[in-house]
Amino acid sequence: MASISLADQLADAIERMIAEPDSAPPRADLKIGELLGIAAELRLLPAPEFRAALKTELLVQRRAVAVPTHIDIRQQASQRRPSRRDARPHEILPTLFAAGDGSYPVHRENFVISATIHAALIVAVATAGFWMTTPPQLTPHATSVLQTDLGAYELPASIDKSGGGGGGGDRDKLAESRGSLPRFAREQVTPPAIVVRNGEPKLPAEPTVVGQPALTIPPTSQIGNPLSAVLQPLSDGTGSGGGIGSGSGGGIGTGQGPGVGPGHGGGIGGGAYRVGGGVSAPRPIYDPDPEYSEQARQAKYQGAVVLWVVVGPDGRPRDIRVQRSLGMGLDEKAIEAVKQWRFEPAMKNGQPVPVQVNIEVNFRLY
Amino acid sequence: MKALENQNLRNPKDERLQVAAAQGDPARFAELYENNFERVYAYVARRVQNREEAQDVTADVFHQALAGLPRFEWRGLPFVAWLLGIAANVLSDRWQRFARQREIVTDDLEQVSVEEDLEQRAMLYQLVETLPDDQRRVIIRRFVSQRSLREIATELGRSEGAIKQLQLRALQNLRDRIRSNHG
Repeated sequence: MASISLADQLADAIERMIAEPDSAPPRADLKIGELLGIAAELRLLPAPEFRAALKTELLVQRRAVAVPTHIDIRQQASQRRPSRRDARPHEILPTLFAAGDGSYPVHRENFVISATIHAALIVAVATAGFWMTTPPQLTPHATSVLQTDLGAYELPASIDKSGGGGGGGDRDKLAESRGSLPRFAREQVTPPAIVVRNGEPKLPAEPTVVGQPALTIPPTSQIGNPLSAVLQPLSDGTGSGGGIGSGSGGGIGTGQGPGVGPGHGGGIGGGAYRVGGGVSAPRPIYDPDPEYSEQARQAKYQGAVVLWVVVGPDGRPRDIRVQRSLGMGLDEKAIEAVKQWRFEPAMKNGQPVPVQVNIEVNFRLY
Repeated sequence: MKALENQNLRNPKDERLQVAAAQGDPARFAELYENNFERVYAYVARRVQNREEAQDVTADVFHQALAGLPRFEWRGLPFVAWLLGIAANVLSDRWQRFARQREIVTDDLEQVSVEEDLEQRAMLYQLVETLPDDQRRVIIRRFVSQRSLREIATELGRSEGAIKQLQLRALQNLRDRIRSNHG
């Protein structure tokens, strides 16, 4: 019963306190005095729904970026429908941005740094094939070979120009004497001779030189070298192998073979010597390698160019012609290089003579 | 219990971590709100002596706090001191705007302190939430909705005497819990 009376006293005191908020606190029993003080404080107790509603408002406000001052979030929320475009990254990727997890703040600059490092690593791994290994480079190499074997590279016959030559002699101490040329024939049976050593041959044959049979030269009484200045005494010359002159091989003149003149191999008209038969090969003393043409390098094209070259008595190459072409600019590169070559000239009887040689220029990628 | 938890959260290190977390992610501001709502409300309510106005001012304080949180710098004072400074400014602006002859709050950010009676009132508001449901319903209806005992009895389907008993037990409970927390 005591408790009921206490409840009644308290209820009455609270009733008066609420009815007259500005009045002095009611005089009350000591037992309810402390409770009335609590009740007085409870007059301003916030409404529970206000606490929850304000929290909801704040959650809406945090989505509004850069709000300088308080604005009516409820009004703004009613006017705007949140779209995915408005959403912040941590709302789209809550796990990535650690939204709502942990006690420590998320530093976005760290995320940027991490993303940058990862991107750099991915790029480095993706391009590792380019910078970690060196692709095999095909290095152009060009080598040149001086060919003295001419058998495989015969010049085509010229239509309007002949050449060749020949020479001979019977190792006389005197130079050959002047006279007229013997008859030209396609084949030589008996080489010409001014001083006949065998006056009674068992099988006589007319002395001839190799050349065009249709070529006729007015004959004189004496066979000899028409270019010789020696009239007497008669001599076959200092050459060898029969014939007349200082050459060799049964012809007339300074050349080799059965023809006439400084050339070789028959015929008339002169021309460069060829290596052999008393003519030494020219020796390269400066032979820079040619460059590879860009077009051939890109096409990985390789092969050999053969050049027909006359090496003059001064050791310089001239009359360079392409004997076997390769194309793709390599012919030009070969000629350009061989033009710079210098030779120790070919020698014949101690004298420098022009000589025709072939030079093979090899272009290789390896 | 909630009051006790909040007492634990008054650890400056924990509170500083909470502030830093909220600065990085505004969603974390909810924790600061939960921990400081009653204190801010009690501070405002003591000065305006009107529930509606106290709620408006409290809402303004927290909205401004959330907007200005990125600029907050920890100076060694409790976070609630910063909130109370905002509350003081809001009250000052409000009173000047309405030209009311009221006591002008001159507290600034550095001078605002968490008074002892403020803590008690804040604790009281928090303890109401921990009451048994029937007692809490009576207290809310009686003091917030300002219903009469008869109206409450009708609403809850109880006798008026039972409502008086619930009111008495609720206030006794609050008194005992305040004592134990101070204990």
